[in-house]
Parts: sequence; C-alpha cells; structure tokens
Amino acid sequence: MLKIQNLTKKFAGKDALKGISFEVDRGEIYGLLGHNGAGKSTTLGIVLSMVSAGSGEVFIGGISVRKNPQKALRKVGSIFEAPAFYDYMSGWDNLKVLVGLSGRFDKAAAKEVVERVDLTDRIHSKVGAYSHGMRQRLALAQALLPEPEMLLLDEPTDGLDPEGIKWFRDFILGLREERGMTVLFNSHLLSEVEQMCDRVAIIRAGELVYEGAVNELRDDRPGVKLQAEPPEILAQVVSSFGGEKMPGERWVFPEGTEIPDVVRSLIEAGGSVREVTPVRRSLEDVYLEHSSLSRP
Amino acid sequence: MMFLRQLRGELKKLFARKRTYIGYMVFLVFEALLLSLWVYVGREQFEDLAKRNFIPVELLSSSLTATYWIMGFSMFLLGSIYFALVAGDIVAKETEDGNLRMVLSRPVSRLRILVLKYCAVIIYTVTFVIFVGVTGYGMALFAMGTEGGLFIWNPEMYILAVYPDRDEAFQRLFIGACFMGLSMCVVTSLGFFFSCLKIKPAAASVMALSVFFIDFVLQNIPFLANHKDVFITFRMANWIYVLQENIPWERIVESYAILMGLCVSLFIMGWMVFQSRDFKT
Repeated sequence: MLKIQNLTKKFAGKDALKGISFEVDRGEIYGLLGHNGAGKSTTLGIVLSMVSAGSGEVFIGGISVRKNPQKALRKVGSIFEAPAFYDYMSGWDNLKVLVGLSGRFDKAAAKEVVERVDLTDRIHSKVGAYSHGMRQRLALAQALLPEPEMLLLDEPTDGLDPEGIKWFRDFILGLREERGMTVLFNSHLLSEVEQMCDRVAIIRAGELVYEGAVNELRDDRPGVKLQAEPPEILAQVVSSFGGEKMPGERWVFPEGTEIPDVVRSLIEAGGSVREVTPVRRSLEDVYLEHSSLSRP
Repeated sequence: MMFLRQLRGELKKLFARKRTYIGYMVFLVFEALLLSLWVYVGREQFEDLAKRNFIPVELLSSSLTATYWIMGFSMFLLGSIYFALVAGDIVAKETEDGNLRMVLSRPVSRLRILVLKYCAVIIYTVTFVIFVGVTGYGMALFAMGTEGGLFIWNPEMYILAVYPDRDEAFQRLFIGACFMGLSMCVVTSLGFFFSCLKIKPAAASVMALSVFFIDFVLQNIPFLANHKDVFITFRMANWIYVLQENIPWERIVESYAILMGLCVSLFIMGWMVFQSRDFKT
C-alpha cells in the first residue's frame, strides 16, 4: 500500500533523512518510532507531499507521490498531533471546507462518520470550544472523509487522557478490523505502538535503525534485577552465564538460563546477594538501545 | 462546479471571522465621521470654492458628492491598511496557525489552493469597496437628502467635472466605485504575495503597506512629477478618470492593463515561492 524508497532530505545543509526505505502492506498497522527530530514527521511530510524529498520516491497504492500527488493522496486520510481547525467555525463547517477540497461533500456520509466518532451533539458548536479529545475526534472524522484506504497518524494520541487514548486505539483497531484500513502510525509512545502495531520501524537521526514485527522487537529473554556484592564476583558469574547488562542493575540472560542457578553460583563464589527480582525487557529498552540512548 | 464550491468554502472562512465584521463596523464609523466632517466643516469651504468658480452651490452640497469624498478618503486612509491586513493573513495566518497542513494533506494542488484564496480575497476587496460606496451613499442620503448632482474636483489628476443630472452622476459614481475596487486589488495582491513568503502574517501586511506608501511618497516628490506613470499608486488613482466628462478610455485601459499585469506577476511570484516551500511542524 505504501512504499518508501531511499528518501533523503536536508534542512539548512543538515541531513534530516539519510536514505529511508520501508513498505507498509495493505491492512497493516505500521509504527514509526523515533525521538523528536529523528525524522518521523519529515517522512510523513514527504508522504503527504508537504515536504519535498531530496531524493527517493514514495508510492501510495502504486502511485508516485512526486509525479502525481493529487491522485496518490486521494487514498489517504491524515491526522496530526495538534489538529489545527478553523476555531471560529463549527465542526460541521470545518468538515465541509476541508472535505470539499477532496471533492463533493456527502452529507449523509459525513453524518455517519460524525456519529461514529461520537461528535453528533457538538458538531454544530464552534471548534474553539472543543476539548483536545473532541478536536482529535473531529480530525479523525475529516481523515475518514471521503473513504480513504490508508490513514497517516502523526502522534495522534499526544495530549489525550488515558480514556481518550484507549478510545482512539480501539477506534483505529476497529477500522482495520472492519475495513482492512492500512495505518502508518508515527509516535514516541511505545506502549501505544506495542498495543496497536503489527510492524515497527525505528528512526534515529534520519536513519532507519530497525525494522521488524513488534513481537520480534520485544525481547522475551529472561531478565532479572540483581544486586550482589562484591561487584567483581557479580560481573564474573553473570558473564559466565552469558548475561548482558541493561540499565538499572538489570541483567538479561540467554533463553533457557535458570535464574536460581545464577544465584546459586553467586553464593558459591562467595558473593552476597541482596536482591533478585524478575523483570521483562520491555519494548522501551529495545527502543532505547536502538536509538542509542541506553545507559548501560 | 467543484471550484465554485471550494471558493464558497474559502469565502466562508473569510466571512465566518468576527474580525471581518469588526472591519465593516470600523468602516461604517469612519464613513460617518467623514460625512460629519463634510457636512459640518468641508461643505462650507467647498461652497466658497464653487461660488468662486461660478458653479451652482446645490451641486456641491449633494449626497453624491459627499459619497465621492467618503469613498476616496476612506479607501486611501483605511482601505489600503485593511486590505493589506486581510490579504497578508490569507496564507500566512493559516501557515502560522497550522490550518494549512490540514489543507495540504488533501488531494488538491498548491496552485489550486492559492487560486482559491486569491479569488476569495479579490472578491472580498471589490465587494468591500462597493459596500463602502453603498453605505456611504446611504448615510449621505440620510444626512443630505436626494437633491443635487455630482461635483468632482481633483487638482492632482487635473480633473474638474460637474454632473447636474442625478442619474448620470449616480451611474458615473457607481462605475468609479467598481474601478476603485479594481485598483484596491493591487494592495490586496501585494499583501497576498508577501503572505506566500515564509513570514508572519503581520510582517506580510506591513511589507505590503510599506511598498504602497513608499510608492505613494515617491510619486509625490516634485522632481519625479514627470515620471508619475511608473508609480503603482498613480496608476491606481486612474479610476477617477471614469468621472471625467469625456472618459479617456485609452489611458484607463493602459493603466488597468499594467495593474493587472502587476497583480498576475505578484500572484505567480507568490505561487512559485509557495510551491517550493516545505510545510512541516
């Protein structure tokens, strides 16, 4: 559905993207992870033809965004972190103006979508009086009109309360279930990505440093928070079991390692064990490692 | 059809703003002020002038003549500022507020977006000038009655014209208002051009006004008197020739062709800049 080929971009002589490539399959929810300034929004900007690429190509449903942006964007609906509507107009009028740019504004379809995003009661109120959650739902309504095949979501749950985040997540998952909607989800909220996405890409300083299934990214090797003295014995025993240091006194061991064996070896080596707590190596740990911010 | 629907949406955005109506209100107050000045201060002086030129006084003291003065002054003093503000906002404000990202994510070309915005702001300008003319005339009718024709005196443009017949006078003044509206489109085009650049909306308006007033000041420098034709504000003032007894159409067509060329050039330059810009959070 979406094919990104070797995208590069420079801002003021500095590389913002250094040859990013990935593909999103039809019906897939694909997460784009990265710190602020990593290049996620630039990538999305190029996909939406708002930012010109230095080189490379983007294809949406096989149509080149560079050569035929209008035709390519017909298949796409998008939501931004802080959707900027015309505050002095009602939600309904905002929909009319924005959707009208894509073609005919179908009142019946709009009413249906408004009802789906649970805005029927407030759709004729001025957007200036909307809460952040309501704005985000209006953004969702405009993105779904008229009938896109793919949604581009740029940090859509930022600023939402937990209830709003859950509602949004369920809504997107429901769309995929019902319509087979393809979603490119740009976020730095790892829990969101973990719960929503099938595959994920991590961008660091304009480079794609990881791409794969979320399940693959998550590390299920046994991990443990282990505090023992003296440190030399701890290091020696742990390395004999093939353990790797993680941030915060945590260690991860190869699959099949029995933690009680590690503890026993520590005691036998004359170490004094103060704490043994099983921990799971989270997506965040993996993300931080890939984005080079881990502090071992 | 789709273009007209989209244009309606663009006009809706303009007219949904409270400040648009504040603008209308400000003009109404300003017109009332100008009319009061005319009735209580200006009329006496012009009656003297008329008497000295053997022109019947009743021609001067008419609602049509008052409308002519109201239109001329309000457009020059306030209209230029107002149109520069509106046009300076039309693209830059949406960029600043982030609305443009929502617009650009739609399957619509940047050229079409700009054409829609430009058409909207031009329609707004012309109709606004006509609004000022109509309301000015309405106020003048209320204050001075329906009697009298039209007296035009503009020494800078070498025009002195008298229309005792009210119908002809009204017709001439209406055509004048339409041409004045076209002239004001130049200020609007300047504002629009600067609005397409990567600058704040206020900066776009200030730059448009700066060009306008610098041009006006230069035009009035005595040693440039023989080169008035090269100044935008002089060409813009040529609307007044439709009030001359024998209308110099050649001169008018030449001036408006130049102004139209300028407006088109400003639009194209704005579009080229806008097209090459990156819009990113």
